[in-house]
Amino acid sequence: MSEQEKTPAKDNPYAQFHVVKKGETLSKIAEEHYGDKMLYPKIFNANRDVLADPDKIKPGQKLLIP
Amino acid sequence: MSIKRIMGGALVASLLVLAACAGQKGPATTAMTAAESALATIKDDAAKYLPEELKGTEGTLASLKNSLEKGDYKAVLAGAPALMSNLDSLKTQVGAKLEEAKAATAEWAGYATDLPKMVEAIQSRVTTLSSSKKLPKGLDAAAVDTAKSGLASMQSTWADASAAFTGGNAIDAVAKAKAVKAKGEEVLKLLGMSAG
Repeated sequence: MSEQEKTPAKDNPYAQFHVVKKGETLSKIAEEHYGDKMLYPKIFNANRDVLADPDKIKPGQKLLIP
Repeated sequence: MSIKRIMGGALVASLLVLAACAGQKGPATTAMTAAESALATIKDDAAKYLPEELKGTEGTLASLKNSLEKGDYKAVLAGAPALMSNLDSLKTQVGAKLEEAKAATAEWAGYATDLPKMVEAIQSRVTTLSSSKKLPKGLDAAAVDTAKSGLASMQSTWADASAAFTGGNAIDAVAKAKAVKAKGEEVLKLLGMSAG
């Protein structure tokens, strides 16, 4: 196991997820999980398979929180 | 009684003792050969799983072999039953360890799949939190530091576990893997992450 950061795959049983609620933004989700809303790109990059635009998330979407 | 008769009696007695000793040589030699043969069949596994017990048995065997070389067959025959009993016991214990190793090898496969993923998830979160200017509710810098040291401990113990398994000691490998899992569960809880 390397020291390098690696985003857990979605099938990793220890991967953490967040189900988007109405009115939430990636910044708000980043603040909730990391304490820092400026870290939202981490969540966006980990979910590029379901997100095309960081400003367009939908309620009910299950996002990987790396 | 004449001196001649006394000397004659002593000679007869000596010859009888020699004859008795000569009669014990065969069984003593056979006993030692059997003991060495019994030890040879379990020595490698005993060295791996029961080194202290093996050392004790080898010491007893060496002592009796020394008696055999000195011609003290009586001592060899007196000590042989205990040695054989010791070897039987060691053989039973080795058998149990081999069964345990077999079960541990099967158990290892699960840990080998699971634990790297656990470490990966924790590593990812710890790295992110370390770069965060603020921390989420319920988490402070001390907790993140504890998580970091917990992660380092997991990585180190996992490396030891993998080395133990590669080295053929599945029992030790699984014991270490269990410690990694326990530490991981502790760190997950600390970071507020759900556990698999």
